[in-house]
Amino acid sequence: MIAQIELTGVNKHYGNYHALKDIDLSIEKGSFTALVGPSGCGKSTLLRSLAGLESISTGTLKIAGDVMNKVPPRKRDVAMVFQSYALYPHMTVEENLTYSLRVRGMPKTEARKAAAEVARTTGLSHLLDRYPRELSGGQRQRVAMSRAIIRHPKAFLFDEPLSNLDAALRVHMRKEIRALHDRLGATSVYVTHDQIEAMTMADRVVVMRAGIIEQQGRPLDLYDKPANKFVAGFIGSPAMNFIPAQGGQDGRSVVLDLGQPQSVDVGYPVQPGRELTVGLRPEHITLAPPDKAMLKVPVAVVESTGAATYLTTATTPELAVVINGRGGTAAGETVGLDFEPAQLHLFDVKTERRI
Amino acid sequence: MSERTHNRVMLALAILLAGIYLFPLYWMYITALKSGSEMFATPPSFWPAAPRWNTFAEVWQSRQMGRFLWNSLVIAIGATTLIAVLGVGCAYVLARYRNVWVDIGLFLVLMLQVLPASLMVTPIFVGFSQLGVLDYPRLAVVVAIAAKSMPFFVILVRATFMAVPQELEEAALVDGNSRIGAFVNIVLPLARNGILVSAILIFMQAFGEFVYSKSMIQGIELQPASVGLNSFMGPNTNEWNNIMAFATIYVTPILAVFVLLQRRIVSGLTSGALK
Repeated sequence: MIAQIELTGVNKHYGNYHALKDIDLSIEKGSFTALVGPSGCGKSTLLRSLAGLESISTGTLKIAGDVMNKVPPRKRDVAMVFQSYALYPHMTVEENLTYSLRVRGMPKTEARKAAAEVARTTGLSHLLDRYPRELSGGQRQRVAMSRAIIRHPKAFLFDEPLSNLDAALRVHMRKEIRALHDRLGATSVYVTHDQIEAMTMADRVVVMRAGIIEQQGRPLDLYDKPANKFVAGFIGSPAMNFIPAQGGQDGRSVVLDLGQPQSVDVGYPVQPGRELTVGLRPEHITLAPPDKAMLKVPVAVVESTGAATYLTTATTPELAVVINGRGGTAAGETVGLDFEPAQLHLFDVKTERRI
Repeated sequence: MSERTHNRVMLALAILLAGIYLFPLYWMYITALKSGSEMFATPPSFWPAAPRWNTFAEVWQSRQMGRFLWNSLVIAIGATTLIAVLGVGCAYVLARYRNVWVDIGLFLVLMLQVLPASLMVTPIFVGFSQLGVLDYPRLAVVVAIAAKSMPFFVILVRATFMAVPQELEEAALVDGNSRIGAFVNIVLPLARNGILVSAILIFMQAFGEFVYSKSMIQGIELQPASVGLNSFMGPNTNEWNNIMAFATIYVTPILAVFVLLQRRIVSGLTSGALK
């Protein structure tokens, strides 16, 4: 694997505030990496550090093998798509597209040819003479993308580029950006707070919290084997259920505490009496006849979208359950719930790490 | 009261207030056109019986107004240029950096705005005289006006710069421009309206400036029109029509510029001049 972007021991301080803490990250050439996390987790700071808009306090930042710690943005040869698109309002679409080329001294005719070419692939050909204020949100987004791809930078940096679009367009642009990435064979780093975007678009997902990388890996690995409770709760929608539990006396089961204790044989050794948090995804729970089911619980809320039914149980803590199709239950009824013991995720109560 | 009558009452009130406010201007214009005896008639006439248009030509000739206005223009252009060149950089820095020192700087800038010219003129006069700047009296006035009006300009232009999103500059940096390049290519064009409007306001202020010119320029051949108008008046003045003609010639160009540009000026002041 060739690392296109490499960060080693990167720290960023703003006065007393420690925004990035010992970040080690290697981004493979040609990969699509999503940085995801709640707001204030440092993902945008990390991206801006890659662009050179923030300088890192300590550590090493390499792009294509060259140390970039003190290199100004214009010499890093990266392109960035901003959340607000940051289109130059006093320039036409064409001037916006060619700006980076003209700044680098490309002759105007050549730059215009490049703009026409890019505009054709992104469907902007008929808008080249317009000003940004005359475009719709989706068109502006496209201009911002085109401006990034017109030169062939060492990396594309996306800072929540879809968050200003409506839901339908966002889903569409998700695919379009990914297709563009594949076509250009580019290296992309994509910041988002939306874990669905991260899961669907990226080859690698980096989950951050409070300036720390909590876990990085392939999307489904993060889903299947979250390294800690935070990642488990962050990845997946609706969010994973967390149930307080204890190691069972037989050494191979856990006792779930859902109001009344419920022992589940997990098939591998668990230290008896150990305090645990057990995670269980809503989509891994199935309905079963109450007398044969592992859990027998009353239902508090039933919400149906037609394709799926979302149940919330009247237990403490309450459980979310997703069932395909119609559930056939109503609020107040008692239902039986089943799940595969292998689908349980066990976390230590104190460290919140996966066991 | 219905909304309609309410609006009408408010409109009538506004017209009344505007009338009171603009009355002196009207009086200046008609007095300039009156003859000697009509000026002192009781009751006063609100429209000159026989407008005397050649008063203007006479005053222009006898008071050598061309020279006065030229001096006013030199001083106003000099001060506006100096303020614009220095103030734009200052305002940009104050707009883009947030820390304690910037806050202290802004406070001091505002403090400067509070000090009246008549208070500052003595120390400035003494200082300039020691430095020998008074040998170039119009330059001395230009520098003094620049010092006085800079805070006003900086505060207006700072607001304009703050309305230019920082992301645009960052995009220009990533696109391959230097900080200065991004400022010149992106920020300045977007802030142009606000800067222009502020500069016009400064120009109009400087064109009418009196205190510094009066105390620092001794030679009549270098004095601006404001001082010329003042020296026209004495304790026994009775040629009010000539004085008003002088004032009319002096004020009308500025007034015309303001009326022509008022839409831009108002929108520039309120919107930060950016869509």
